[in-house]
Amino acid sequence: MANFNIDAKKDMTYDAIVVGSGISGGWAAKELCEKGLKTLVLERGPIVEHVVDYPTMNWDPWDMEYRGGLTPEEKKKHYKNIRSGWVGKDTEHFWADDEANPYTEEKPFLWLRGHQMGGKSLLWGKQTYRWSDLDFEANAKDGHGVDWPIRYKDIEPWYTYVEKFAGISGEALGLPQLPDSHFLPPMELNCVEKHVKERIEKNFEGRNMIIGRVAHLTQPHNGRGQCQNRNRCSRGCPYGAYFSSNAVTLPAANATGNLTIRPYSIVQEVIYDDAKGKATGVRIIDAETNEVIDYSSKIIFVNASALSTAHILMNSTSKRFENGLGNDSGELGHNLMDHTYRVGAIGKVDGFEDKYYKGRRPNGIYIPRYWNIDEKSKSDKFLRGFGYQGGGYRGGNPANEESFGAAFKDSILKPGGWEFFITGFAECLPYHDNKISLNKDVLDKWGQPTLTIDAEFKENEKALNKQIQEDAVEMLETAGLKDVMGFDKEHPPGYGVHEMGTARMGRDPKTSVLNGFNQVHAAKNVFVTDGACMTSSSCVNPSLTYMALTARAADHAVSELKKFNI
Amino acid sequence: MDRRKALKKAGLLAGATIAMPSLFSLLQSCKNETRLDWQPEFFTEDEAKTISALIDTILPTTDTPGGLDVKADMFIDKVVAQTYDAEGQQNMRNAIAEFNASCKGKYGAIFPELSDADKTAVLKEAEASSPKFNPGVWGTTVGDQQPVGFYRSLKSMAIWAYFTSEEMGENVLSYDPIPGTFEPCKPLSEVGNRWSL
Repeated sequence: MANFNIDAKKDMTYDAIVVGSGISGGWAAKELCEKGLKTLVLERGPIVEHVVDYPTMNWDPWDMEYRGGLTPEEKKKHYKNIRSGWVGKDTEHFWADDEANPYTEEKPFLWLRGHQMGGKSLLWGKQTYRWSDLDFEANAKDGHGVDWPIRYKDIEPWYTYVEKFAGISGEALGLPQLPDSHFLPPMELNCVEKHVKERIEKNFEGRNMIIGRVAHLTQPHNGRGQCQNRNRCSRGCPYGAYFSSNAVTLPAANATGNLTIRPYSIVQEVIYDDAKGKATGVRIIDAETNEVIDYSSKIIFVNASALSTAHILMNSTSKRFENGLGNDSGELGHNLMDHTYRVGAIGKVDGFEDKYYKGRRPNGIYIPRYWNIDEKSKSDKFLRGFGYQGGGYRGGNPANEESFGAAFKDSILKPGGWEFFITGFAECLPYHDNKISLNKDVLDKWGQPTLTIDAEFKENEKALNKQIQEDAVEMLETAGLKDVMGFDKEHPPGYGVHEMGTARMGRDPKTSVLNGFNQVHAAKNVFVTDGACMTSSSCVNPSLTYMALTARAADHAVSELKKFNI
Repeated sequence: MDRRKALKKAGLLAGATIAMPSLFSLLQSCKNETRLDWQPEFFTEDEAKTISALIDTILPTTDTPGGLDVKADMFIDKVVAQTYDAEGQQNMRNAIAEFNASCKGKYGAIFPELSDADKTAVLKEAEASSPKFNPGVWGTTVGDQQPVGFYRSLKSMAIWAYFTSEEMGENVLSYDPIPGTFEPCKPLSEVGNRWSL
């Protein structure tokens, strides 16, 4: 614990408070601390110190009593999250307790949460892509949602800024719909992926297949080690080889001497002072002692993750904001988005039996969006588009072989046949009636109102999914795969873990919660830069954009603070 | 390459260490006909003997370890006892009873008491009649999965128990907990067996 001052009670006043320590909270902490602000980070869960608190990072299956299986008690604790398929004994401790933190599904919605220092930055998929003006202009062009208050040129330098520090590996392609990042060397495709790539690119004009662009270091970078291809990322990486708050931004923040991080701090509300006309601090409940404590600061960054951020703002009522802080527009909690997920195709690849790979590359392939990017690629069936992720590997399920006994046993010691799959992620439109609201009938362990989630994918998302599956099957069949099987595991939103939009940015305070610098329109010393701020959802992974928006907003915050504007 | 030599040596050593236990279990198999040599947590003695006999038929001991050499039967018993809910446990119990009832009906005895030839006949039939597992993507089964039935799900559990055992994982399958590099298209001959991780 040497690096973190957790005795935050003595000092109640800070220059800045950051709520949450995940991907965006970590960046807020780093930027604010580096600019000289005494910064308090409030974290709902425990401290997770890089390496020290990664208890499962080196476990092999046989090191776990049930080789990854969970007991009924453990399953009950994650009774909602278990649907995701991501919870195992190796990561169970990094997933929030669904029993202690209930929520109500008006319509089915899976809300995946990580309540610890670093949040879901310890669990994310690390796919990192820049958005383009295709994304930032989408709402303005087709009239769904409100216009983004920024364009690609506004955020471009901040993408470069965060990429240089975080370390993003990938291949430059020069595509307008998927701008290149400032890259470390790309990871490599395996032989089957190269083979499928060739065939897809030869047969389908405008479709590219590239190695995923990821926040994994392919060479040492800023004192962190390179990826060792263990693919045990969600247990915490001892090399600091992927981007997490724990390995990257929080240590940088801490090195300034300006950081205080307070664990077990459940933020109840942002305190707004009607007389002063601005926010003056944050009220927390200590998760262990139930003590209620107020902290004061000049600026507040709310980075609790999309739904929790909106939850906190809705819970922050005052005379000026009777329906939640910054909710003059009535849009707070609305326009909830996620990406569609688990729709695509899988097939078998003949040949290459004498080829295998070494290393468990924590990355796959990416097929950037190719629909609705220009007049030629315009679809009359849906708006916007989708991209694919996937990969090739030697798998095969030995239990499916119609064989048993000595020869069978010998055969399954060798790797099975090659398989290749792609699965799409489609953009979800910002619908006003996809929303969350405070539920005062269901209280959590600390007696606080919980959330009711009422959201669904609608016709456009369903049309996109239909195209995802059709195209996936067509591409894999054309690429010569055998036994191609299309799939659409129809599921509600939440599974993509890309929840966005509940406190959207916009140009007009009447229709949005935040301005172009992520400030609450009517409370300019409150900033929101996590998924809540997103005005549309693009079809590419959003985390890199949260990072860039956060660095940009922090820069603006400090500059405004110096000018006494906030 | 030294690394390959080291791997081969590891393989040889593995052969040496497993020779003894497999002989040992061969001696014990006579005893198995009357009673188990381990105390199940969940299974009754007949159920445990059924699971053990199935594993031994699917994954017998040869010059590599068999399922019983790595205690796959004992592990499955523990998994059912500790990670299944009451309903899952009851389903398992019913499935074994049904399987044995069918053996008894067709061959006159419960599975562990059948001759090797009859055991083989039972499994051949089960193979032909059990639906297969659909492929999975990121831990989710895709498409409409038909219920695979007791035989194939037990076979799957047995293979899981077998592959994730320390003996198989470290000494028989190719083991490399910290690969370091990613080599995308390596000759299989240089790797040997399936990667254990």
